[in-house]
Amino acid sequence: MLGALLLALSLQGQQTIIQTEAPSIVAALTHETVEIREDFVGQELVLYGATRGLTIQDEIVVVLRGPEYDLRVMRKERNFGIWVNSDPLVFADVPSYYAIATSLPLENIASDDELAESRIGLPSLFARQPVNMPLTSTAPDETPGFETAAPPAPADPDILPYLQAIARAGERQALYAEAQRGVEVLDGGLFRATISLPPLTPVGDYVADVYLFRAGRVVASRSAALRVEKAGLERFIFDFAQTLPWLYGLVCVMLAVLAGYIADVLFNRR
Amino acid sequence: MPRRASRPVQIYLPIAEISVNIFLLLGLGGGIGFLSGLFGVGGGFLMTPILMFIGIPPTVAVSTQAPQIVASSFSGALAHWKRKTLDVKMGGLLLSGGVVGSFFGVQLFAYLRSLGQIDLFISLSYVGFLGVIGGLMFLESVRSILRARSGQPATAPRRRRRSWVEQLPVKMRFPSSGLYISIFPPIAIGFLVGVLAAIMGVGGGFVMVPAMIYILRMPTNVVVGTSLFQILFVTALTTVLQAGQNQTVDIVLAMLLITGGVVGAQFGARAGRHIKAEELRALLAFMVLAVCFKIGLDLVVTPSDLFVVTPVEPQGGP
Repeated sequence: MLGALLLALSLQGQQTIIQTEAPSIVAALTHETVEIREDFVGQELVLYGATRGLTIQDEIVVVLRGPEYDLRVMRKERNFGIWVNSDPLVFADVPSYYAIATSLPLENIASDDELAESRIGLPSLFARQPVNMPLTSTAPDETPGFETAAPPAPADPDILPYLQAIARAGERQALYAEAQRGVEVLDGGLFRATISLPPLTPVGDYVADVYLFRAGRVVASRSAALRVEKAGLERFIFDFAQTLPWLYGLVCVMLAVLAGYIADVLFNRR
Repeated sequence: MPRRASRPVQIYLPIAEISVNIFLLLGLGGGIGFLSGLFGVGGGFLMTPILMFIGIPPTVAVSTQAPQIVASSFSGALAHWKRKTLDVKMGGLLLSGGVVGSFFGVQLFAYLRSLGQIDLFISLSYVGFLGVIGGLMFLESVRSILRARSGQPATAPRRRRRSWVEQLPVKMRFPSSGLYISIFPPIAIGFLVGVLAAIMGVGGGFVMVPAMIYILRMPTNVVVGTSLFQILFVTALTTVLQAGQNQTVDIVLAMLLITGGVVGAQFGARAGRHIKAEELRALLAFMVLAVCFKIGLDLVVTPSDLFVVTPVEPQGGP
């Protein structure tokens, strides 16, 4: 009798697990575009989301990635007493902005390998080979400081300090940020993440990825797009300088001469 | 360095792509303007390092100096023009060298930037030029101060025997300066100043004024006006070239510095009237040497981060 009851209970328990909906996640940003105007000093973004089938052991990770660009990293070396940039390495397609918000410290959510697979976290950003590109049109072996040998493997210990330097530079400018517990889980499977864009926020297309982790594995994910662009006067000046650079230069000179003339009129009348 | 200040005083610079305090820029322009009014130099040699220090990308700092110097040298040259203390013929000759130098300098700038060695090159140029000019100026001014103190009549050092400069061929007469000299030294000096304007973001007054006095032996009263005249055109050309080729001129930054600068220059010029010329030169020399020392120290002292990270593309993407 007792045995049958226990069996029934355990069966029922199994059934509830089976009945649970497949986990899913949705998210939206408060802004679809961020405009950089003359008073831009950075901006707070809020990402709202909802999950279905959120259980107590589930965790949420939000990643916002900025447009990618190529970085050149050089090591300073003392030469004849002064510090000279040497041994340049070029890293292609590094995100210019990278912020993570999580509901638990990242190392408690999943293993490094699992995170690297989804390309989450600063270490995984750089799990790729640096490329040595000849930066001038001349033959690469004539360019001093550029090795012509095959690029080193990613695990190369020589590369590690370079990667750490990229991470340090990004963190100094608040372009790389990790907010442990930056994701607030609310009632009913809702959550909210706050991400701040610093004053040096690069312009371009951003992607916000939201991951639902269960037992150290990604069980659902979703993306939302964000665009950061210059607007108003900032955009006008920037576009002018880019599209008609020579005319822009002439206008700069004329404005400067005008300012000098006004100064002369104002101060040298007597 | 992220700066967090209240909103209304911050301004986002469209080309430098950084948000900076307006009053910091106006004050900086005013302070440098004061010094430039006091000493009769552009002050670019001080401004460029300070702009880099507050986080303006070096390429933008160097290029944006040019329109700022255009404004200050225009009002200065205009005043000298009215007072007829401007040797247009000499200025034109210096300018012909300056135009070539400016073209050459902008190319050199772009090439060094592509090699990743532009920072080192700018620093070394600063240390070299400021050290030599500052040192010479300091010795000379200390000597004249001592001479004035000891009560001896100031012997005009300009009227010494014939120098190597006077033995060069292709001579030309310069009535305003009262000179009859070869055309090569002015062209060479102009060229050097043009290169400096492009790669160091300076007007070159601190090189040109001593060169005109000690090498060309021009009378002091036309030196400043003529140097401003040449600097005006060289920096105007540099502005157009840097904007056209490197897209690194930030007009918002320039206008803020100009606004502070023109006001500061007026106060500086007024303050300058109460100080003796040789003491003024000694002060300027001291300041030049101080900047030289600071930049030199930065080259030698172990940096806080041993790695430099820079974007490969010239900044300011699509």
